[in-house]
Amino acid sequence: MASREKPPPAPKRKRRPRDGDGSLDLFHQESRAQNVALHEVAQSRYLNYALSVITARALPDVRDGLKPVQRRILYTMWQQHLMADAKPRKCAKVVGDVMGNFHPHGDAAIYDALVRIAQPFSLRVPLVQGSGNFGSLDGDPAAAMRYTECRLSEISGTLLTELSQDTVHYRPNYDGTRTEPVVLPARFPQLLVNGTTGIAVGMATSIPPHNLEEVCTASIRLLDALVAGKELSSRELCRTIRGPDFPTGGQIVSTAEELKLIYETGQGTLRIRSTWNVESESRTQKTIIVTSIPYNVNKSTLIERIADVVTSRQMPLLLDVRDISTDDVRIELSLKKDADEQKVMAYLFRHTPLQSTFSVNMTCLVPTENPEIGRPERLDLQAMLWHFLHFRLDVVTRRLEHELSQLRGRMHILEGFVAVFDALDAILAIVRKSEGKQDAAAKIMARFKLDAEQTDAILELKIYRLARLEILVIQKELAEKRKRAKEIGKLLAEEESFGIWAIVRSELEEIVVNFAKGDKRRTIIAAPEGEKEYSAEDLIVAEDNHVLLTRDGWVKRQKEIKDPATTRLREGDQVLACVAGSTRATVAFFSNFGSVYTTRLIDIPATTGYGEPIQKLFKLRDNEAIVAVYSLDPRATGHIGEREGKTPEHYAIAATTDGFALAFGLSPFLEPSTRSGRRYAKLSEGSSVIGVELVTAKGRPKLLSVTRKSRVLICAATEISYLNGPGRGVVLVKLDEEDQLVGFKVAFGPDDVLVVKTTLGGEQKVSLAKHDVSARGSKGRELIKRGQISEVVLPTPAAPQLSGPNGSEVSA
Amino acid sequence: MTQYSAKDITVLEGLDPVRKRPGMYIGGVGATGLHHLVWEIFDNCVDEAMNGHASSILLTLHKDGHSVTVTDDGRGIPVDIHPKYKKSALELIFCTLHAGGKFDASNYKTSGGLHGVGGSVVNALSSELIATVKRDGAEWQMKFRQGKPTGKLVRVGAARGTGTTVFFRPDPTVFPKTEFSGEVIRERLEIASYIHRGLKIAFVDEAHNTKISYCHKEGIVDYLRAIGTLRQAHFTHESPFSIDRENGCKLEAALQWSEATDEYVKSYVNGIPTGSGGTHEAGFRAGLVKAVRNYVETHNLVPRGVTLSAEDIREGLIAVLSIFIAEPQFQGQTKDRLNNPEIQATVDGFIRPALEQWLNTNRSSAEQIVGRIILAARAREASRAASASVTRRSATSGRLTLPGKLSDCSSNERSSTELFVVEGDSAGGSAKQGRDRNYQAILPLRGKVLNTEGTLLAKVLENKEIADLVTALGCGVGKSFELEKLRYDRIILLADADSDGHHITTLLLTFFYRHMHKLIEEGKVFIGVPPLYRIDIAKQTYWAVDDADKEKFLSKHKNGKAEITRFKGLGEMMPKVLWETTLNPSTRRLLQVGIADELQTDRIMADLMGRDPSARFRFIMERADEANELDV
Repeated sequence: MASREKPPPAPKRKRRPRDGDGSLDLFHQESRAQNVALHEVAQSRYLNYALSVITARALPDVRDGLKPVQRRILYTMWQQHLMADAKPRKCAKVVGDVMGNFHPHGDAAIYDALVRIAQPFSLRVPLVQGSGNFGSLDGDPAAAMRYTECRLSEISGTLLTELSQDTVHYRPNYDGTRTEPVVLPARFPQLLVNGTTGIAVGMATSIPPHNLEEVCTASIRLLDALVAGKELSSRELCRTIRGPDFPTGGQIVSTAEELKLIYETGQGTLRIRSTWNVESESRTQKTIIVTSIPYNVNKSTLIERIADVVTSRQMPLLLDVRDISTDDVRIELSLKKDADEQKVMAYLFRHTPLQSTFSVNMTCLVPTENPEIGRPERLDLQAMLWHFLHFRLDVVTRRLEHELSQLRGRMHILEGFVAVFDALDAILAIVRKSEGKQDAAAKIMARFKLDAEQTDAILELKIYRLARLEILVIQKELAEKRKRAKEIGKLLAEEESFGIWAIVRSELEEIVVNFAKGDKRRTIIAAPEGEKEYSAEDLIVAEDNHVLLTRDGWVKRQKEIKDPATTRLREGDQVLACVAGSTRATVAFFSNFGSVYTTRLIDIPATTGYGEPIQKLFKLRDNEAIVAVYSLDPRATGHIGEREGKTPEHYAIAATTDGFALAFGLSPFLEPSTRSGRRYAKLSEGSSVIGVELVTAKGRPKLLSVTRKSRVLICAATEISYLNGPGRGVVLVKLDEEDQLVGFKVAFGPDDVLVVKTTLGGEQKVSLAKHDVSARGSKGRELIKRGQISEVVLPTPAAPQLSGPNGSEVSA
Repeated sequence: MTQYSAKDITVLEGLDPVRKRPGMYIGGVGATGLHHLVWEIFDNCVDEAMNGHASSILLTLHKDGHSVTVTDDGRGIPVDIHPKYKKSALELIFCTLHAGGKFDASNYKTSGGLHGVGGSVVNALSSELIATVKRDGAEWQMKFRQGKPTGKLVRVGAARGTGTTVFFRPDPTVFPKTEFSGEVIRERLEIASYIHRGLKIAFVDEAHNTKISYCHKEGIVDYLRAIGTLRQAHFTHESPFSIDRENGCKLEAALQWSEATDEYVKSYVNGIPTGSGGTHEAGFRAGLVKAVRNYVETHNLVPRGVTLSAEDIREGLIAVLSIFIAEPQFQGQTKDRLNNPEIQATVDGFIRPALEQWLNTNRSSAEQIVGRIILAARAREASRAASASVTRRSATSGRLTLPGKLSDCSSNERSSTELFVVEGDSAGGSAKQGRDRNYQAILPLRGKVLNTEGTLLAKVLENKEIADLVTALGCGVGKSFELEKLRYDRIILLADADSDGHHITTLLLTFFYRHMHKLIEEGKVFIGVPPLYRIDIAKQTYWAVDDADKEKFLSKHKNGKAEITRFKGLGEMMPKVLWETTLNPSTRRLLQVGIADELQTDRIMADLMGRDPSARFRFIMERADEANELDV
């Protein structure tokens, strides 16, 4: 607290001025308000909060691997004798006692902690055996604590049994009415075995679970090295602990080197993925079974994500997903019969939590000189085990000391027995004559040189022990006790503690024998070897699709659009273009602002509805609209590659409202563009592109153009100069003032017609059949005498055709 | 009345029914009905203009105030003889119900008129009507009285151009009052000039000797701007959205979002204002909300945890909606509510795709609009409560907006009142019972409040606890902070004496420091110090504020067995004990928070509460030893 002034004296019991007169003058009384600086008060309070969270809430102790709430739960259950062989008891009882005795926080938090340490999919070796609904991999919550029951699991016994032997430090609980252990005398490295996660203030921890046998064996190796005075690095320990062993299994795909680095530094990121196998192939389908999922992944969310992939047709080889898990994990993926399962799984690993990462940050509390407070530190593997082993050494030492003191007390009493055994009759006589226990004791002590403790024990003797044979029993016990005391004395006196280390070692081996054998590693550690590397493009399944864009900018992809004229449109909208191509091919959207936006077909949303606004895919500017769409699939556009000194076989011509036109190649647009697109034309102020048409170098295509003031000009496409970069082009039609180009179309023959509407309400057709071809740059001829051209009639769209099979189809 | 037989049945012929039952045609003979005559003639001219045949209309209110002349430059009413009725078309139109050119779509596409009864109705109800037509190079004229021709159609002489002029004087035998209101006419004409884009309308009020002409090239968009100027609105985006569609019914709408917190929609049906809205407005609203929702969903623009209500979307909206439909049905007391059920879907169907389309193609505007809407949603509860200024004690209305959890005090003076901000409802209860209700108010906060360091004000106000606090204080927040409006003299933070209590204190201090800086500068913020221990020795009770305090006391009182109870939360104490230790001004301890060093404070607050965890880590590791009160 920031203030250390004289505290207020005990108040005098006077009637408090409540409900009295409201005009109480507070100010002369408020002399005790001290001034404090905001930054100081914030600092000291925040510091207290931060350190409380760090040392007594979010981080585990390196020795027993438990956070305070977990330790309190186990300790309370141990006090309640809820061992593995006891009848389970209601969780509410446990939670209530934990809260009332040691943990003054919310009951929900305590119950959640209890549930977690009972979940076999959260902890590698659950510390509590739950009975009832304790939640599932699907993220279902546990039943309320009034329903569920619990008891300690067998292995928890090894965390708690030594508590009664004065092995650890105790501290008072929050209200000073009880004491609780600062740490549990854990016999195995619980922290590494079960792992932990926690977010404190300014720091956090995330330790993955490990295999019990591996961890114990590694501890023994380190112990042997310590005893032998050798160094054993984290890297070397990794030969035994090859990596985390998650309760949910899975496969770690990080390399051995990556894992070693994590254990050396205490931090890093692991990649885990599901295990799977191909189960069956029927005539129509192939089935993959996913048998495990990454740790901490919610199965139902995972299924949803996979289902999204199915419905969005992002990976058409994947047909369906079904979760048929019971107590094991079993997710069925239905694939097309000829599908490459490696490719499907590679796609799912990349795009769903079927492969996840686990961030390792091995921060925990290490003991300090103050037995009640730990210090946060990020440890490497070796340090973590080192701390554990030294803790064990300490515990065993304290246990022996405790045993020794018990032995000594017993020996003392036995020695008393031995001393008086031959004089029992005398003692009996003294007792019979005495005035009571105290009198008798005083007399016996005076007569036989015994101390009060021994005398007391003699007086408490049962009559049957006066039998003859008893002295032998007592002498034998005394001899045994002496022998044991000598042994312990020797162990404790040993400077290098070799003997105690040996006990620690044997107890670890015991854990291995009792608990670790038969608990095989569940997580496979195998860096992917010989696995095909798939590029982003490889993961697209080649398939011919159709893409449709409307005048209002709604775009969609479908497997096939048989008749674009009957596709679903919003009222008043019209189909602008419908193109075909392989899902791997690029589709180009040309805008009236001279930008072209390209993307892979697969990335266009697949839907049978209205589609999505084009603005969702690309960042169109205000009032920017798409005027033309082309599939750059070679089967749709032909060869667009650049040719030395000549225009490409197939290229594009764009015309702008100011009567200019430019020709340009399409090959620069093959790579998908950013959301902002690329430039294909430079426009003069105020003008915009009205159309982009595909032309061929052969076949002598002509360009039909119509202006607002109804002038028509037709010229050869070759008259438009080919540009290597975005440019303004050349004059196509010489425009009057206030006139503008409104219609533009390429014509290969007399059947290619440009239809326009006039302000008088009629329609006019422009075609090679009706009009003569002239040179570009003139004013053109008059189309109609009166009125102007109001708009260009969009041609009825035809279903797009692709010539030849899907060339880029490599594998199924 | 002896017999009731066939001879008693009367059939009204010609224009008689109009004169007998004027209410059926013009809705009554009051002022509304009277002005309706003007609208009838005027609407005929508008129809002519809307169909592209006329460009200007002149309406003259004559000096006597009882007669009106309406002139357009349209085609002129035909004057040739009708082949079937053997009368001039002009006479037919003015003397026969249901005679007109609007039954055939080839002449008129849309019409605001009464389907061929307008001219004849006005004629029937006028004591005098003169129709003048310029057509085919000549001027023709015909006069009527109470619906009957007083002469033949005469050719007045040669004339240039075309057009129709109608002069009429309402019949005082029908209308109790026949004086027109210049203001009513002017207002209607002004609205008409907005609704009918490009139409030139001139109004000459001879009675007041004024002449006004209207012409709006952009129609209702101009109207929208005019409304914006009138309301001094700050528009959220630059250019308004407008739509002009015709498909079954003609619809024109313009809308723009402003920074205002209300919604302002003007709607018209066939040029008639519909102040109480109706189905067209409902359709408009629904379409608008759906369009914005679609846009926002398509582009994933809403941050998590924010839900947009329809009100949020429409907040700040200024809109003008005008539709023309064939058979308007009006409802309500003032007949200004449209009731055609099919219109709702029609308007919705027009607005939704068009607005969505517009949002998609006007990204910069759309982003500003969506930003504004999200802001509105975030601040929905908090900012409205905060911006509605709560003036202390002046009126009960101000108190209604106070948070329900606040237990206010009864004193009406700001001086010497205190607000205790208490951690948790469990402590709030005993504080409420233990306080002196005259001058101590209690506001319990649940759980940890939001960390406000580096958080935008809108986001801050989204937090319920902070919004309650802001409302209770009444002094506004951020830029709108006004110390004078503070409702209490001191704000006392009262948290449990554990680490979480410390955290809550720092979180609240951060909020005050960053968003109500002045409050700390003025020394209005205090920290209450609840005791940690209660020590009972014999019959004496003593409260120790901290461990040092406890030790000091125990060392003084070695004799006698001391019973020490540790207080964990404020909720543990009996209300009376709480009063004695923490609330009573004569026995409690308070810390008054001030700012010692502005720069240092800023840096430390940023380090402690900011987004950078490494600064926090450094701070904790450097000063771990200074912590003196660790939780167990």
